Amino acid sequence: MAELKLELPQGTLDLLILRTLTLGPEHGWAISERIQQISKKVLQVQQGSLYPALHRLERRGWIKARWSTSENNRRAKYYELTRAGRKQLEVEESAWRKLAAAIAQVLETA
Amino acid sequence: MLSDLLYRVRLLFRRQRVESELDEELRFHFEHQVEANLASGMTAQEARRQARLKFGGFDQLKQELHDAHGVTFFDSLAQDVRFAARMLLRAPGFTLVAVLTLALGIGTNVAIFSFVDAWLIKGLPFPQSQQLVVVKARDIKKGWIGNILTPGDFLSLRDQAAPLSSIAAWDMRDFNLSGDGTPERVQGARVSASFFETLGITPMLGRAFLPQEERLGANHVAIISRGLWASRFASDPRIVGRKITVDGETCTIVGVAPANFQLPLMGAANIWTPMAWTDAQRASREGVGYGAIARMKPESNLSAANMQLKSISAQLERDFPATNENELFYLASLRDEIAQEEGGDQVLVCFWIVGLVLLIACANVANLMIARASGRAKEIAVRSALGATRRRIARQLLTESAILFSLGGAAGLLFGVLGMSWIDSLVPGRVRGYLVNYGHVDLDLLTLAYAFGLAFVCGIIFGLAPALQASKLDLNGVLKEASGHISSGKRGMRMRRTFVAGEVAVAVVVLISTAFLVQSFVHMAKADPGFRPAHLITTQVDLPKNKYSADAQVRAFFNQGLERMRALPQVESASVTRSVPFTGLGDVEKIYRADRPVPAPNDAIYAQYSAITPDYFLTLGIPLRSGRAFTEADDTGTANVAIINERLRKQLWPDVDPVGQQLVIGDAHTVVSIVGVVGDVKMDRMSEKPRRELYLPFAQAPPRSAGFVIRSSGNDETLAAAMRDAIWSVDSQQPVSKVSRIDSLMADVLAPDLILSQLAGFFGLLAVFLGAIGIYGVMANSVAQRTSEIGIRMALGASPKQLVTLVVGEGLKLAIIGIVAGVLVALALTRSMASILYNVKTSDPLIFTAVAIFFAFVAVLACGIPAWRALRVDPTIALRYE
Repeated sequence: MAELKLELPQGTLDLLILRTLTLGPEHGWAISERIQQISKKVLQVQQGSLYPALHRLERRGWIKARWSTSENNRRAKYYELTRAGRKQLEVEESAWRKLAAAIAQVLETA
Repeated sequence: MLSDLLYRVRLLFRRQRVESELDEELRFHFEHQVEANLASGMTAQEARRQARLKFGGFDQLKQELHDAHGVTFFDSLAQDVRFAARMLLRAPGFTLVAVLTLALGIGTNVAIFSFVDAWLIKGLPFPQSQQLVVVKARDIKKGWIGNILTPGDFLSLRDQAAPLSSIAAWDMRDFNLSGDGTPERVQGARVSASFFETLGITPMLGRAFLPQEERLGANHVAIISRGLWASRFASDPRIVGRKITVDGETCTIVGVAPANFQLPLMGAANIWTPMAWTDAQRASREGVGYGAIARMKPESNLSAANMQLKSISAQLERDFPATNENELFYLASLRDEIAQEEGGDQVLVCFWIVGLVLLIACANVANLMIARASGRAKEIAVRSALGATRRRIARQLLTESAILFSLGGAAGLLFGVLGMSWIDSLVPGRVRGYLVNYGHVDLDLLTLAYAFGLAFVCGIIFGLAPALQASKLDLNGVLKEASGHISSGKRGMRMRRTFVAGEVAVAVVVLISTAFLVQSFVHMAKADPGFRPAHLITTQVDLPKNKYSADAQVRAFFNQGLERMRALPQVESASVTRSVPFTGLGDVEKIYRADRPVPAPNDAIYAQYSAITPDYFLTLGIPLRSGRAFTEADDTGTANVAIINERLRKQLWPDVDPVGQQLVIGDAHTVVSIVGVVGDVKMDRMSEKPRRELYLPFAQAPPRSAGFVIRSSGNDETLAAAMRDAIWSVDSQQPVSKVSRIDSLMADVLAPDLILSQLAGFFGLLAVFLGAIGIYGVMANSVAQRTSEIGIRMALGASPKQLVTLVVGEGLKLAIIGIVAGVLVALALTRSMASILYNVKTSDPLIFTAVAIFFAFVAVLACGIPAWRALRVDPTIALRYE
């Protein structure tokens, strides 16, 4: 079957990661899996951009990381949202919704 | 931002752990992917292969993660530093010149800053010194300001001024020490009992004065300085309680002040005795006054305290209208007062000047860097072609300049320390002991921080322009050019020219200001003191009251002394005076014309008066303007006579010859006839305005305290000892002050101005030198860049004269722009220097013109070598470059 894969627009990966983490702390692999599942495999997250994004978000203080044990008893690095991250998510979500609505508007009417 | 930096730094130090955590995280992900692939039915091999495919390059990912962490910032910083050090070492000439230039600029600033720090920033060496104030008085109508209080006013303030926790009066005085050892005349002061408490000082041995010791009769106690304790009393540990003879009276030493204790306002005092006033003095609100220092209560501040003093002054004005009308008492910070007295203004002017010198030095270094960067255009172009971003290149160049300026800062510190000891060595020994914070002018943390802060800020500001400039290269243009030397385009040259013109402008400002300072000093040193100071030797005596109670005894002592001195070989003339110029002694009395009504206390005219022997004017070389000098015939029993000076004559008898007129002196209303008028004499400072002076015959009013002055025709050193022996042959117990030459006393007074003018001269030369180097650098570079153009001109038949005109004309144009700008700025700025200049008009066009012409001349000289190089260009070689 021919998969439809879309490149993520610039900057949206951060938004998706933050959104995913609202469901609870997760490790890197699970975050990428979850994004794929929820988007019905339309959105593919490359490892090459996932980890830099995670570390960038951590540096900015929007998520924090801690080492913990995974479901199959292995040490894994779990990321969770911080208070600042939650705020950032709200900002980015509403910005995104506005953008998407505006683009849709243009596409429908123009 | 800060948390970001902390994050980076933390990563930097926990590098190892971060690295292994990264590995673990990525491995976890990889293995998870493999498991997922296995679960979906792949073979083990296929599962790993697919996972690896999905993963991409492991190392590349790690590099990206490093970037995301920001660790690379430090990596590349280390890289930049290493690279910059290599580049600087590869151009040792450039590095040396740049570092030396900066070291000169920063060094002068460090040296001057250390004095600014000690005199104007650091507190005084007393506890809670910010609460210390002096009490001053201002006549709100006439505008004069005084810093002495009459005992009556002092006591009113002591009783009524609530914001003051303590207040003390003081009065400089010399004391005779005799009894044990050689008779000695020692500088000291009379002070209120609260003096030491006010300053917050407890004696090293013994105690401070007690309040009851301010009473007459109970005041025969003394506190001595640590220096006097060591020199005269051999550091006797049981000194407290010892009896000594002070001014012929027995006195008990009650304490020894701690080392280096001085109140800079009162000179180098070595002995303090309590201030005891008679009841008449305590009530007095006119005439004699005393200095007053006070300590404010911690909860009070200057403006609130001054509000209080204002209402007290108003009350005193109502209670004593005759003496206190229009008189407002107010407080001023003790530190400011001392700084003012010791040349705080001068130090600040120096500080401005060295700031400007540093600006010139920095502009020179920036110019050097731009020139070098254009020489490195190719290297930079290659690096940016290989993918270095503009930011990265600019950062690299900035790192280079930061290193350069840090080196300059370190070398400047060295220069600064040398400069500090040079300035220190200029301070004459006699003045040393009582400069504020003396011995505290050193490299403290603040000065160190200042030096490196300065280097850092200059490095960023002056490094930024060249860095941005060089990183903005036109890649194609540079790489296309085949020849080895590449110009970085017109922009670099334009920037350098702007720098040079600006630098010349600043140098002109510095030179004009320093020329004013030097001119002011020359005027001061050459000013006519009103007498001929060379070969005048003086010593003072203060005869004890109990031994010399009658005027006849005093007259006999001085006459015998004079006789013996006149008998000495090489003595041309000898005389006695109450106040010797430049020794700081003098009395003041109210005077008025006998044919006019007695003036109200507030309108009284005061004159300095001095009793002199007949030869005094002859000995000092003071010119007689009219009438006659005193003679031996002006004695007791003859008519009271007086001589006045020009200034007093102009005020009292502006139109007529006063000889034969009568004058009334003091509260005793003594009437004297004027027999002569003499020229004005400077008494304290060369820059002082003529003061009102009145001379009386010694015989008619002999003071117990007076000075011998002799004019010698030979060796002054041997005479000094002979002079003292002459006095001791009259009275072997009589203490004698240090025998001094009046011209060296004058030199001591001039010392601060001498130091200032020497520094100013040095800074002025430095500014000219740096400015000339700046012009030279730009012109040399310009000639080098235009070699082929010059070659073509030569080939086309340009004459040497035309070539020289081309080069010199270009340099001169820059210089003239700078000179004009500099003169305009100096016109505005130097006006504020007027307060510290003597007999110098800052609007005087002479210095402006001279500096402008001089600088134009320097500019032509600086263009000389580049012009000569241009002449030696060989057209055939120059054209081959094309």
